[in-house]
Amino acid sequence: MKSAYVIKRILYSIFVFAVVITLNFFIPRIGVDDPAERYYPPQGNMSQIEYEIIKQVTRQQYGFHVSTWQQYLNYLKGLSRGDLGTSFRPGSPAVIDLILERLPWTLVLSVSTMLIGLTIGVLFGVVAAVKRGRWQDTMLLNASTVMVALPSFFVALILSFYLGFELGVFPAYTDSTMVSSFTWTWESIARVAENAALPVMSMVVGSIISYAQGTRNAVIAVTNEDFVLTAKAKGLKQGTIRYKHILRNSMLPIVTSLGMSISGLIGGQVVIEQVFNWNGMGTLFLAANNSNDYPLMMGIMLLLSGFTIFAILVTDLVYVLLDPRVTVGDKR
Amino acid sequence: MSKTHRPDGDTLYVGSVQTAFPSAYMPWLSREGIAPTIAGMLYDSLFIYDEDSGNYLPSIGKEWCYVDQDGQPIVTEDGSIDYARLEQIYGDPKHQYLAVKVILHDGITWSDGETLTAEDVYYSFDIATNNTLSNHAGALAWTSDLRHSYTNGVLTRQGIFTYDHGALEQGYEIAEEDRDIVIYFHVNKVLGSVTPLFTSVLILPEHIWKPVVSVENQLNSTSPNEEILYRYRHPVGSGPWVLDTEESGSQQIILHRRKDYHRTQADGSPLITIDTVKYVLYQEINVAIYALLKGHIDVLDNSVSSNYLRLFENNPDIFVSNAPGQFIQTLVFNLNPVASERNPMRDLLQNRDFRKAMALAINQEELIRNVLDGAGLPASAGLMSAALEDFYNPAADSLPTDYDLRITEANRILDSIAPQRDSDGYRLLGERRISFAILGSPGEQDLISFLQIQFQKIGIEVKYGAKGTQPESTYLYPSRFDLTLHGVIFSLSNVDIMYPAHFQTLGRTSNYGRLVHEELNEAIQEMRFTLDLNAKYDLIKKIQPMIASEYYKVPLYTSNVISVARTDRFRGWQVVRGATVLNGESLENLEKTKEGR
Repeated sequence: MKSAYVIKRILYSIFVFAVVITLNFFIPRIGVDDPAERYYPPQGNMSQIEYEIIKQVTRQQYGFHVSTWQQYLNYLKGLSRGDLGTSFRPGSPAVIDLILERLPWTLVLSVSTMLIGLTIGVLFGVVAAVKRGRWQDTMLLNASTVMVALPSFFVALILSFYLGFELGVFPAYTDSTMVSSFTWTWESIARVAENAALPVMSMVVGSIISYAQGTRNAVIAVTNEDFVLTAKAKGLKQGTIRYKHILRNSMLPIVTSLGMSISGLIGGQVVIEQVFNWNGMGTLFLAANNSNDYPLMMGIMLLLSGFTIFAILVTDLVYVLLDPRVTVGDKR
Repeated sequence: MSKTHRPDGDTLYVGSVQTAFPSAYMPWLSREGIAPTIAGMLYDSLFIYDEDSGNYLPSIGKEWCYVDQDGQPIVTEDGSIDYARLEQIYGDPKHQYLAVKVILHDGITWSDGETLTAEDVYYSFDIATNNTLSNHAGALAWTSDLRHSYTNGVLTRQGIFTYDHGALEQGYEIAEEDRDIVIYFHVNKVLGSVTPLFTSVLILPEHIWKPVVSVENQLNSTSPNEEILYRYRHPVGSGPWVLDTEESGSQQIILHRRKDYHRTQADGSPLITIDTVKYVLYQEINVAIYALLKGHIDVLDNSVSSNYLRLFENNPDIFVSNAPGQFIQTLVFNLNPVASERNPMRDLLQNRDFRKAMALAINQEELIRNVLDGAGLPASAGLMSAALEDFYNPAADSLPTDYDLRITEANRILDSIAPQRDSDGYRLLGERRISFAILGSPGEQDLISFLQIQFQKIGIEVKYGAKGTQPESTYLYPSRFDLTLHGVIFSLSNVDIMYPAHFQTLGRTSNYGRLVHEELNEAIQEMRFTLDLNAKYDLIKKIQPMIASEYYKVPLYTSNVISVARTDRFRGWQVVRGATVLNGESLENLEKTKEGR
């Protein structure tokens, strides 16, 4: 039963990815009369004939000179070879190279944020649930309210200004030589950690509260289940009930939350990256959007959606491991 | 205390707010963000145009002149251009082109030590016009007045001549000792033809590019081979700076001064004394400004909003450059939409008196006070800066200056066109309130809000319309708008191109409202093709009242360019019209302070 479910989920994911590839190709082309004009808007005193010549050459260079369907087939062929195309940037760098240059730096922030957020958040959540109605719980609820009201760029700016510029505890923004001079030495790694401190701090507060809230609610819900009452009636130790029965069964919503976080790992945080000059995927996408570099936009979108689909698939499969009822429900 | 690096040594630290720094420095590919600035520091053009004097200052080129068919200079006794003779010679329709002679500085070297010659100049212009070797819209635009063309990779009309490229055959004699410094061009018979050739085309080293560029490996290919990529990333230019390719990257750009740069100060001392400039990338303007205030950088490359001015008050280490701007912000009427985009409301905009009434309701002083915090100047209705004394025509400003009078006059006009008003005081067209959307960006909402208040006084409602990321193709070219905001800049160097683009040509040009005006067209054509500079000035003066009286592009203001620098490490910052404080003049005047040493 489980293997049938797994195969079905995989096939479904492949179907969704195919749809994404198609949309990813066609959406940037909606409302644009001539894709070449995105690259070369009419300029100066160039005559119409010269402009047409240059557009024709541009179309040929970027493969726009054939029909849209042929372009789509060419795009699929390219994808099958792992070729995401070339960017409109000077020097026509390959999209995949630009992405690979930024991705590790985004992962530094997002993975650190996720790990710290998950660890501390789950702990806080459990504590708040156990101490339900007491100050620990109230503090979490209040913190949640405040964090919902505070935009992340505001938190980032405050941290940059006070902990960075004023107190000098951490760099207010990323050292411009951090990326170019990075080597796999402890000194270099420590420098990255120092520069990542404020960006991670800006993101991790929200992350902790989000995980803590999810954990708290799940733990409280499970605490009220009959099997916990039964365990208590059987005279099991408090610790056993808490960790073996309550916490394990509270994990499903946390796994969902984690799955969604994983899918967001590679997207980057535009605002945080902007404030701290972090060389990540978020600002790469912003730059692509600002310069109408849609081969690059398409490449990033495809990677993001592919990763999201993959993360959701993994989450679903982990569900099966954690909760056998999932397959039963699916069968029905 | 701060963990962030603070400036030290002789390096000028420049903050630049961008989304990313470029990794390729082939100047013709560098069109966005900071790339053109850096390209302009690494490479030189033939001349530098001085907007104030209208002269071409030496760069690679030392001097230039128009010449007759035998290559003899057409100059007066004092060496200036003899426009009367120029017109006498080239006014003859049998001559299809103007001939121009350029003499280069002797002994200029590229940053790799090779000598720059006339052949480098020939190569640069030649490859720009040859589509089989390069594909640059920009370069083609700049060279479109050069009468040198290729068809499918075959030179079909030669318009550049050097000692090695047919000068003698064309009748231009070049002495053997001048072979490396003399070059002739054939350009269209328009005085402005030389401007883009002289000032926009950055000259490339032939010895670097010729060996690697071919039909198979074009400049600007989407799949440049390794050799071309290497050259993109390791630029060799003739400009005053060289790129530190080891230290520069996506977060910083480091430039070192060339000790052997050919241009010097008048006393022969180096043109620039700063040894190194380090551009640091910031992606958020508030962080960049705070970094400046805290002394992490010496200057900010970007202009800043007037909202920030209060931050810099009473700070003795901050120099604020509040330079007069060149861009005139205008309100553009869609006065002649294509048939499918016409409607009764837009038909009102076809009425010149209606447009005049709206122009009367605009109070530039109030807009400058409220929208720009006072950092701006009123603009002439002829859309020419009053600083351009040779051809600015104050007669274009014929509307009364007293604002109460203007409102009275505007209401009088509108009472004859649309006298009925609704309960809120807005005028009616039939049963409908007269209401227009002004296309703008989110940053222009403030301006539109103040225009809203001003037009309310004459019973016209205006609203903000988001123009989105592709306004040209979405709204402006298809005539799908009522009014829009548009910054314009006209000067002697660009009127030959810009007047037709703004007021004459229909289609995909800046004539968004599709003005058709025969008399104005004729005046523009006459202005473009006269070879007499004084006559050109007179025609530009004549055109300004014609533009003003159409009330098609109505001026709102000229905003100042506000920028900031620190004075504790470097002094000598220069305020230059239309530029930020980090301009060429500043770089030539900066010196370390005692504290900075």
